[in-house]
Amino acid sequence: MDILLMLLWIVILVVVIMLHVAYATYFERKIIGHMQVRLGPMRVGWHGLLQPIADGVKSFFKEDIIPENADRSTFLAAPIICLTAMMTALAVLPFAKGWVLADIDIGLLFIFAMSSLASYGVVLAGWSSNSKYSFLGGMRSMAQVISYEISMGLSLVGVMLLAGSLNLSAIVEAQGDRFLGMYLLPQCIGFFVFFISMLAETNRVPFDLPEAETELVSGYSTEYSGMRYAIFFMAEYIGMMVMASIGTVCFLGGWNGPFPVPFFPPLWFVLKVYLFMFVFIWIRATLPRYRYDQLMGLGWKLLIPLALANIVLTACLKAILA
Amino acid sequence: MQIQYKPRRGWLATIFQIEILQGMALTLKRLFSRPITRQYPDERPQIRLGFRGQHALVRDPATNDCKCIGCMRCAVVCPSRCIRIQSRKGKEPNSRRVIDNYRIEALRCIYCGFCAEVCPVNAIVLTEFYEYSSLDRASLHFTKEQLLANWDQFAAQLDMPADAYVNPFWRPRGFAERDLPAPKRLPVSPEWSGEQQVVGRQWQRYLPPEHA
Repeated sequence: MDILLMLLWIVILVVVIMLHVAYATYFERKIIGHMQVRLGPMRVGWHGLLQPIADGVKSFFKEDIIPENADRSTFLAAPIICLTAMMTALAVLPFAKGWVLADIDIGLLFIFAMSSLASYGVVLAGWSSNSKYSFLGGMRSMAQVISYEISMGLSLVGVMLLAGSLNLSAIVEAQGDRFLGMYLLPQCIGFFVFFISMLAETNRVPFDLPEAETELVSGYSTEYSGMRYAIFFMAEYIGMMVMASIGTVCFLGGWNGPFPVPFFPPLWFVLKVYLFMFVFIWIRATLPRYRYDQLMGLGWKLLIPLALANIVLTACLKAILA
Repeated sequence: MQIQYKPRRGWLATIFQIEILQGMALTLKRLFSRPITRQYPDERPQIRLGFRGQHALVRDPATNDCKCIGCMRCAVVCPSRCIRIQSRKGKEPNSRRVIDNYRIEALRCIYCGFCAEVCPVNAIVLTEFYEYSSLDRASLHFTKEQLLANWDQFAAQLDMPADAYVNPFWRPRGFAERDLPAPKRLPVSPEWSGEQQVVGRQWQRYLPPEHA
């Protein structure tokens, strides 16, 4: 019975997240459109509201082309690895008090593991496509994720030190429901580092080198088509949501808000996640892409030292104040 | 020459990446501005005089044929070489050349309007009709008959008699009246002739008040 209930919760979570992913693409296209003084999708439904559904149906029925010289099994597995890893990370996110599928004590570590596992999918896709563009995209993704994973992990160590736990619910509880309790202010350096690494981890502009469409066609997903391409797309958006959720949980106080919402407790959480998503999109509409060596320089020469300094500072302050 | 260098950033501006924030402020401001997109099939562009659309050969009411005299100026001036004229001498002495065929490959045309400007008898015109896409190439290789039919179609929807219509491109711009051949001395509005010629975005000054 417990297992059945659990399965029901999983199905609900997956469906809700999939709908959010679909409408996140709509949100992104609309916001970017208006920022570029365009309208964005307008034709399907009222103000293009049914566009994500039309896109979904289209990509579902499109021909699934597998290149002749591709490594077939790896080619087929790569998008699934990507999506599965990203979706697994959703399990430990606390959407509200008690609204979490798996309340495990290593939540933060688990999310790190899963989001790096997702980049396996990207690397394998690049390698198995047997195409130079895909291969370059995969290589770039590997290098980028490895370097930024370090700074991201280090930037959250400050949060772990303050909260004294890796459990995401415990981190939210530690911040309390006051505005000043949020770790945004005491961990502002950590937040800065985390935010930039978050953009790089999710391969978003200005760090979208793995799929730089102006130089690499479409990077690692060049040879993919139809549903498999859509799976990569979904994984990218779920990745964005997971990263935004970590940001919300670790720095913005999770589900806590100015006042508790009676019937839908995760409201504040969702609003904060969408604030992050908006900033993602806002940055995409503003900034050009980094050069590859600048990306590496930023990661290794600025973010990692900053994050290390933040750990030392936080630890010292905590020792002095305690 | 005075070269304006970017002012040096202070350390605060460096830490807070002031340029990125300025850029973000700009995009945020644009988010709330009015989009300039025109929802095309529902919302049509306002076509002004001098729009360069589908090609047509003006039908001469006297002969019920085109006005072309086979001087080949349009074919020579055409930058994309999309005009082909087949003509021969008339039978009687001192008669006009007989135009057997006058073909325009609309797919190669770049709509520069040079042919209309250079034509000494105002035989060819780029009409204001612009929706003539087709699923096959052949129907966009206009022959003389098709070009005359294009004119009939355009003349039918004009709100004036067809012989009173003056296309601004029939009068080459930037020439004084006395430098033009007689058929090109046409009454066009001052914005199309001489010094008052409208260039660039200044056309907005000439909009009727309801569109301004």
